[in-house]
Amino acid sequence: MIKFEDGRTIGRVIATEALPASPHEFHFWTAVETSLGIGAIVRVDDETRTVFAVVIDGRAYSDLSSPLHEVVAAEGDPKSVTAPTRRAEIRLWTAAVLRHEPEEPMQPVPLAGVRVASASDVERALRMDSYVRSESPTAIPIGVYRAAGLKAPVSVDADFVLGPESAHLNISGVSGLATKTSAVEFALTSIFQHFPAAKGSVAALCFNVKGPDLCFLDRPAELNDDDRDLYDVLGVQPVAFDPVHYFAPFKADGVNLNTLRSHPDLVGAVTPLVWGLREVLDYHEVLLSRDDIDAKSDAFLDFLADRVVDKEFRDEWGHTHRVSSFADLERLFRAVFDGLEQAGRGDIWRTHHIATIRKVRNRLLNISTRCKGLVTDDGSASDLPFGAFEDRGVYVLDVSGMDQLGQDLVFTRVVSKLREHLERRELGVDHVIVFVDELNKYAPSDGPETYVRKMLLDISERGRYLGLVLFGAQQFRSQVHRRVVGNAGTAVYGRMDMDELATPGYQVFSPATKIKLATLPKGELMVRHPHFTHPVFVRFPRPPVLSGPDGVKRFPPQTDVPFEDAVVRQLVALDREISPATVVDIIADHHEVDVRRALLATRRTRPDDVLSYFRATLPRAVPHETVTRRGEPLSPLRSSDDPYA
Amino acid sequence: MSEPFGSADPVESRLVEAIPVGDPGAVPASVAFLDGIQRYAVEGRLGLQPIIRGHAAAATVLRVDGELDVLDHASDEFLVTAVQRLSDSQRAALEEVGLPMLDAGVADREHPMLDVRRAALLVERRRARLEAALVGRHVRQRDDTWLVVDGSLPRLENTGPRGRLVGLIKSHETQFLDGSDLRVALTLPEAHRTSVFRRSTPTHEDVYSWYLRLWPWEEQDLLHGLVRVERPAVDESVATATQVSRWLLAERTPLSAPDSRWDRLVYPIQQVEAFLRAQLGSWW
Repeated sequence: MIKFEDGRTIGRVIATEALPASPHEFHFWTAVETSLGIGAIVRVDDETRTVFAVVIDGRAYSDLSSPLHEVVAAEGDPKSVTAPTRRAEIRLWTAAVLRHEPEEPMQPVPLAGVRVASASDVERALRMDSYVRSESPTAIPIGVYRAAGLKAPVSVDADFVLGPESAHLNISGVSGLATKTSAVEFALTSIFQHFPAAKGSVAALCFNVKGPDLCFLDRPAELNDDDRDLYDVLGVQPVAFDPVHYFAPFKADGVNLNTLRSHPDLVGAVTPLVWGLREVLDYHEVLLSRDDIDAKSDAFLDFLADRVVDKEFRDEWGHTHRVSSFADLERLFRAVFDGLEQAGRGDIWRTHHIATIRKVRNRLLNISTRCKGLVTDDGSASDLPFGAFEDRGVYVLDVSGMDQLGQDLVFTRVVSKLREHLERRELGVDHVIVFVDELNKYAPSDGPETYVRKMLLDISERGRYLGLVLFGAQQFRSQVHRRVVGNAGTAVYGRMDMDELATPGYQVFSPATKIKLATLPKGELMVRHPHFTHPVFVRFPRPPVLSGPDGVKRFPPQTDVPFEDAVVRQLVALDREISPATVVDIIADHHEVDVRRALLATRRTRPDDVLSYFRATLPRAVPHETVTRRGEPLSPLRSSDDPYA
Repeated sequence: MSEPFGSADPVESRLVEAIPVGDPGAVPASVAFLDGIQRYAVEGRLGLQPIIRGHAAAATVLRVDGELDVLDHASDEFLVTAVQRLSDSQRAALEEVGLPMLDAGVADREHPMLDVRRAALLVERRRARLEAALVGRHVRQRDDTWLVVDGSLPRLENTGPRGRLVGLIKSHETQFLDGSDLRVALTLPEAHRTSVFRRSTPTHEDVYSWYLRLWPWEEQDLLHGLVRVERPAVDESVATATQVSRWLLAERTPLSAPDSRWDRLVYPIQQVEAFLRAQLGSWW
């Protein structure tokens, strides 16, 4: 084909009646050999203005008017086609306008030459100049735009990611290929380094909901030259997070932590997450099904919360109760049932029917069984440091080993506490980013209304005023509640599934953009941001922290150990001078529940003299005597009701 | 407008014969194609006198590795009228247009239609002159590169080597053969050529020529797929007639359809024409 060469001009805008140029979209042609591709940013200039645009579609065709002509030329034999001349071809591109300069009057794109955007053009095209070059920059580098040999940093506006203008970030993409977790880890790194000091302090709270994904955020990764180059372009230091605080519940045994970060070198930095009755009762709605709990049960629960728990409560039979744990609660219930039975006063206590009381008792006491490891019977608690959150600190709650109910409870309570503290400005930081993966599980687009979903909707719609920011990730955006994804000011898309792309939420994207999304390599993302008129494709470096799979390889999780060994290991992790034999001797005559309570208190307090504190916290041991069996064992009594006895 | 008859002398054999050329053969690694176009339109009249606006253009494209690139391009735009019939003021007004003015000459009597036809002939001659100029330039500058010219080989003023010139004639308005020779030529089977003959006209170079059937004519018109090839009148042209014919057979692909002349118009020539038309733009 006849070629067109003119310096930096790589194409020319065309306009026909069928393909007109409009203020928002235009078409241009280029030479067949071009470095241009979908997602490239171009500029068109005439004497009075400049238009920036992003390529959203491309077509190629030749002057062949009918396939039949090829058949005729080949005389019906495909093998015989050896044309000495290549047919004339065209590369016709469609571009969506990003910005007009000047903005007014907005007119159709001029029919002029098309040039590839430079780094400064990319800034102007994406309207980044308003927050990258301002007196008080609020730019957060999010990735590198790469096209036609150009590498240019792309930044989002902190005011639109962490509020107050808009907030939240949502990332979608298929598992394993979309690198969602990596993208969020990199974004947090960038935010921690670039969030302006004038905007206040910021911390991140990450729910690790599956595998070892977020278990090694304090461990640096090995990066290659490409990654380091990307970090250079973006102006971000590739350093691991510091400080990182890990929290995980115990397993059912109450001593082994329920986390994959259980390698001896790392487990010492994991704080047990343990809640008692008080921590749970306020969030009973999460744990108790609304279909099961009626208004009468609700009233009784309110009575317990307001009048009984953590208060001196005197019953009608002369007993005084102080209910601080599930065990205390069970004693109260027992006293009520016994008292009613002995007094023969029927089936009403304090206006509540005994059936309601029994039902609530069953449901509440069952919680400590269902959430064993997280919820204890004895009232001891170990919680997040609400009120003392550190600036640029990362708090990881490893709930990956918990069942759905436990995860729901942790999520609801933690987020509620964050909100309460942020409302009172008592959290310790001004902004908290809450990262939740598998958002489709917690805020599904359909299904019954749950407390967790209500909570997420509340964060999405009102969180930005408080500084409570949601970073959510999911495979399928279409399966997440539309108000949750819709309120995310910044949306990020990794490799997508074609079925997902066929859903209505993606109709705004061109077919070529969808194909690009379906074939995105690892490390490439499409970013939508309020300042960007159209989404832009960027590449981001691997995060500076060890990935979950790499971390597990380097720090293999330790298998569960017996009770005594687990106690020894946890105390030694606090003080390496402690002798295991001494610990075994100390706990030998104590009940496990007492040892657990003392261990928890020691871990929570982290005293200078760990062993002394642990010993002092244990109750006085009750000497016990081992009874040896003498003579023949007793035979069971015969039952007259049993015909086969 | 061509003469209906021309003369031919046998070269390869005493009587014109049909010679099979075989399958399509190799094409030269580097070959250029030349074509020209002309346009004219009556822009207006001064009295009864038509004022013709004429445009002639010619271009050469070079094909290397299947890709076509413009090698040479020349164009000419002008006004044509019977200058002698214009008053001084009319001539001055036309000169203000800024285009060269060519004199179409005058007939004994005024005839608006014949005046236009005479102007059209002038435009055609300008086109032929541009083509000849480009051929001459090619011969001088790139004598190692084959050049396929759309139409008859022009008479060249310079005396450079012409060994790599090929003329490809699609229209058969001028017949050089008659009798059984003509019958052989017009009923050639597909992939056959006639034996080489010499054709001479007063306006063109003496050349060797032969007919070649590119596509089968059965169930079509006699002239379907029939082209006439011209080569410089040298012995080598006879020796390479079959080889050149096989090359030209290979040029059937890609098809120049939907052009109505697709059976005789090779694709690169069509591309030159498309380029020239695009250059001319929508003025016409």
